[in-house]
This record gives sequence, C-alpha cells and structure tokens, in this order.
Amino acid sequence: MVPSNGATIWRGRRDPASPRSWRRILGENGVQKWAFYIPVVFMTVFLALPMALTVVWSVFERTQFWMQPGFTLFAYETFFTSARAENYLFSMIHAAIAVVISFALGFPVAVFVRRRVATALQHRVVLLFILPFMISELVRVFALRPILGRNGVINSVLMDIGVISDPIMIILFSPVGVVIGDVVSFLPFMVFAGFLAMEAVQPYVFEVCEDLGARTVRAFRDVIVPLAAPGIFAGGVFIFVNSVGGALVPTLLGGPGAVNAGLIVNQAIVAIDFPLAMAISAIMMATLMLLLYLGHRLFDLTKVLQPIS
Amino acid sequence: MNQFEFTRRLFLQSAASVATAAGISGISGVALAQANELKIWANPGVHKVGAKDWSAMESQGGISIAATAKSARADESIQKMVVGDGNRLFDAITDNGGGMEDALASQKAIVPLDTSKIPNWKNILPTYNEGGPAADTIRYKGDVYATPMISNADSMAYDYKTLGFHPDSWGVMFDSQFKGRVALQNDFGPTLTNMAIYLQQSGKIEIADASNMKPNEVKAVCQFLIDYKKKGQFRTFWDGFQNGVGLLASGEVLMSSCWEPIQIIANRKTGDKADIRYGTMKEGHQTWNNMIMLTKGGRQRGRDALYYKLANVYLSPWFGARTLAGLGFGPQMQGVDAYIKANPKDFSASTQTRVLDILKRKNDRYAIKGNAWQNVFPTHLRAYQDWWARLQAA
Repeated sequence: MVPSNGATIWRGRRDPASPRSWRRILGENGVQKWAFYIPVVFMTVFLALPMALTVVWSVFERTQFWMQPGFTLFAYETFFTSARAENYLFSMIHAAIAVVISFALGFPVAVFVRRRVATALQHRVVLLFILPFMISELVRVFALRPILGRNGVINSVLMDIGVISDPIMIILFSPVGVVIGDVVSFLPFMVFAGFLAMEAVQPYVFEVCEDLGARTVRAFRDVIVPLAAPGIFAGGVFIFVNSVGGALVPTLLGGPGAVNAGLIVNQAIVAIDFPLAMAISAIMMATLMLLLYLGHRLFDLTKVLQPIS
Repeated sequence: MNQFEFTRRLFLQSAASVATAAGISGISGVALAQANELKIWANPGVHKVGAKDWSAMESQGGISIAATAKSARADESIQKMVVGDGNRLFDAITDNGGGMEDALASQKAIVPLDTSKIPNWKNILPTYNEGGPAADTIRYKGDVYATPMISNADSMAYDYKTLGFHPDSWGVMFDSQFKGRVALQNDFGPTLTNMAIYLQQSGKIEIADASNMKPNEVKAVCQFLIDYKKKGQFRTFWDGFQNGVGLLASGEVLMSSCWEPIQIIANRKTGDKADIRYGTMKEGHQTWNNMIMLTKGGRQRGRDALYYKLANVYLSPWFGARTLAGLGFGPQMQGVDAYIKANPKDFSASTQTRVLDILKRKNDRYAIKGNAWQNVFPTHLRAYQDWWARLQAA
C-alpha cells in the first residue's frame, strides 16, 4: 500500500526504510540527540575511570609483583620523603622555563603572521609549523645531539670563527639541553595557540593603539597579551604537560640521570612498584588540575572556546 | 536428467568435493603446522642468529617458531607471566637478566626441565654444572628451570686512540683528568653492581655481596657516585642501545660502562676517527646470562619436545659461534673455537681472528675473581630505587 506522500505503509506502520523514517531516526530527536552522549561515554570510560582507578590503586598495598586491595599512604610517603619529589619539582621548573621561552619565541611569530601576512596566506604560513610534527619526535630530538654536542655544529662553528676556544658543554646533557629540547619539540603549540588567540584581537585594536600613541612594546604588553591571554595559557599548558610527562627529551638530552615526572613513573613501574607509580600519576593529575584552576581564575578559560565575533 | 542438469550437478558435486578436500587438507595442514609450532616470546635482535627472521633457527631445530618480540624490561616479563596472559600466549619465554627464573619459578609460571632430552646439554659450559659459579642462575630449589643462550661480563668501553692506554680499572672513570668525559648506564642494576664491585675490590667500601647489597651498602655506593656527579665527572647516563653507541661514536665521552655490542657497533661507526675497545677490569664485572624457559602453559599444551629441540639449538656450537661473531655475546657451550676453525666457509680468516679475540677477552673477564652476577630483584630493591632517585636529583 502506498499512501499519497509516497511512504510505504508496512503492516500498519510506516516502512522503516522510507526517507521520512530515516529522517526521524537520524533527526534531532533520534541519533543526533544521543550522539552528544557518545563523547561523554568515551570520556567516562577512557579518562574519568582510569583517573579514578589511578587514585584508588595508589593507596593499595604493594606485593612482590603486583598490588592488593587495602589502604596505605606509603606510596605517597615514599614519594615525598625521597628525592623523587625534588626531581618532580625540578622537572616542573624546567617545564615552566620551556613555556616562557616558547612564549617569547612563538607568540611574536603568531602576532606577526596575523598582522603582516595577507589574510589569505595566514593559515598556510601557520600550517608550515606542522611540518616538524611530520617527523618522529625521536628523530627530531636525536638530531639535536650533533648540533649541540661537544663536536657539534654550534661548537664547531664558534670555535672555527674564534669566538670560543673550548666547546660549550652546558647546552647538551644538562638542564639547559632539556629546556632547548622542549622548546624545539613543543614550540609549534605556542604558535598555533597564539595564532588562534589572536583572532580575539581585531585589527582595529592595533590602529587604536597607534592612534593613542602606544609604542609597540607597550601595546604588546598592555593590550595584545591580555586579550590573547586565555589562548596563550592553553598553549602553555600543552607545552608544560608534554615537558613534564614526556620521557624522550630528558633521556636523550639530559645530564647524568636526568628525569622528569614521566620518567619517575616509568622507573617505579620498572621496579614493579605499581602503587608508587599510581601515586606519582595521581600527583601529576592533581598538579595539572590545580594549574587549570589557577589559569581559569586568572584568564577565564571559557573565553578560549567562545565564538570569535 | 538432461545434459544441462547433469553438467550442473556434476559441477556442484565436483566443486564441493574439491572444496571439502581442500578444507580437510588445509585444516590438517594448519593443525600439523600448529602441532609443530612453538610460540615463543623473545628478543628478536639478540635471541636468533643465521637469518633476518627465525627461519635458520627453525631449520636447525626442525620446528616451526611463532615468535613475538619482547623488550628487555624484566618488569614487563614478570607482569605478563605472573599476573597477565603470558602462559596462555607463549610456550617458551626468554628472560631479561639474572634472578628472573627464580621469580617466575616461585610463582609457578615456568616449569622444571628434563635436561636428558637436550642432547647438547652435555656440552654446556662447566660453570653451569651443580656447584659451579653459574649453577644457581638456571636452577630454582635445585631443579633446572632454564637453558642458557648467551652471557657476558659487562665492562667499560673506551677510546684507545685518545686515551693512549688500556684502562684496567673502573677507577679510571673517576680520574679528574677525564672530568665530563665519562658515561654510565642509566640503570641502577648494572651501574650500582659494577660500582659496588669496584669499591669492594679496591677496599674503599666494605660490601658483602655486590649482587645483593644491604641498604647501608647501597647508600655508600650512591653517595660515592653523588660526590663525583657533583664534581661534574659524568657527562651523562645513557639509556638505550643507540644512545650508548652515539655517545662513544661521536666522541662525546671517552669511556662508558656499557654492553659489549655497544662497543662493537660504536667502533664500526667511528672508522679511523677513534679506536673504541672493551676493557677487562681487574676488580671484576657484572656477569649475566639470558635463558629460555618452558612456560606452565607450554607444558599443559604438550610443547615440551619442541622446547627441547629449540634448547638444543641454543646449546649448539652453530648458535654459539654466530652469536659470538654477531653481537659478541658469550656462547654457552664448549667447543665453539673448534667449530669456528672447522668452518672457514662461514667464518673467514679475518673473522676467525676477530671472533676468537673477542672470546679470549671474554674468558679473561669471566676469570676475574671479583665478578658478581646480575640480580634484577635484590632483597632491598626499595633501597636501590630510593638511592638511585637521590643520585638522579644530585
């Protein structure tokens, strides 16, 4: 039976294969309505649940090769009373320095692209910063060694032109080497975040600054940076988290026994001390949450996601 | 029945017969292959020789091998075998250093062996015989649980061309003239053991057992290293094979405590620019071996015979000669030198000279009195961890 609108009546109901039925299934009250819950389910299963388990397991008791249910703060006590807390603190300091240097180098690039590059070309120029990500991070970081090393490019050039007589050793296998590696690895995060943040700074803002006689430095410091602050903060968080948690840079460029938070966790796992590894991970999560809270209080991070008007 | 129907029916019947025959033979072929297949979890770079894949090992043993790549992390192996699904997945596994067989046997993850079923066992190095220095490394509570495959005595690699002499003591690493030109392995196990051997044998610190130190002994060794780290003696602590090679090959450091394959590859990379050699330290070295073990699951699935065939390959001079010539690991059987000399087709005159020199130097290192066996699970593991963290923070 075919009704006048063309949909087939199927045993007293509409044929489920008809266009109208499909529209209902896929429509706002159908799949679309539930589609919004998929990310929630995903985040619950793959993010919230593991995070909760991390905290729970951190208070379990260590056995010879695993752990058993119980409640003990021994892992936390071990962390705070050993040199691990010190190592963790140092890795955060190095990460913070990497963020500051990345901002100093990356944000002006973002401002320059926004101001000086033709609108049609801006996105293409920024996309150039993706190119390093096409190469494995291992290769990128390892490639710094022939540049920064004792017999590396920098030392060879400086010695050849007579600027130095002995190689500069502090730029590799030291905290300086780690910061250089972090900046090289993660600088594009700041350029992207800065570029997006600069959408909030309309071109007329620059004109107003000029009209009011504000010099470039003052306009940058008092107008542009505050307007773009939420985006800059977001870029900084990306760099900070990667710097604190990524094992590659300190392993390849750090000094004797250089570690960061990620490596401290790894070493606890290698020693089959799972509660300790979980405790350090829980502390890392707490640190990041505190950081995000402070950032939100200072910069109102909801602005990052607000539509640009 | 017309001609068309006859042809169609015949075709269908024939096709069904062919399919059935193919299916049966296929299933039986797969079943046969699976019955002759040993599932092993091993390090592909270290635990096979003769070809890029496992084919040479398979043809030597007359078995089929389904190998899964394994990292060098002891914790990963223990996890997989004790609380994970290792016994379901693997018939045999290789270890990652001394002490693992005790841990796995105590958890009943591996099973005791009948060595009479391994013909080449009669050629095993005497050190593994009962009462021998390495006897305990393959036994748990008196029963043999593992077949050794490779071994070594870890030492120090150095650039002879720059140094102009052959260091024969770990103490050279702490000479102020080499400040900033020394590297250590970034692993508390081998590094603390080798340093403990040095401090113990040179009479600087009293240490009862360098393989299994007490907390106060661990503290003393680490404080010694912390002192030198603060003075800037160490350029870095290396982690990973390529990293270790790169440090020596680039001239970044003049000496490094490392695995012998690192020295071999670094020396190949440098060409004439350097002459990187592997020393014999008079105080002693951390000695270790890698073994293959039959899992509880392997025995339950009746894979004993296949395991014994593979173990027989690992104890054959064919394997020993090739692992020695390749990455310089120590063979576990007697008669390797004779085998190499008897096979000039496989080992040219120059290769023979090089390989027999490696073997001689290796035997010299094994003979040092102060050597101590690797122990991946020392009794006071927590003290090792905590003091290593302090050394890192210093």
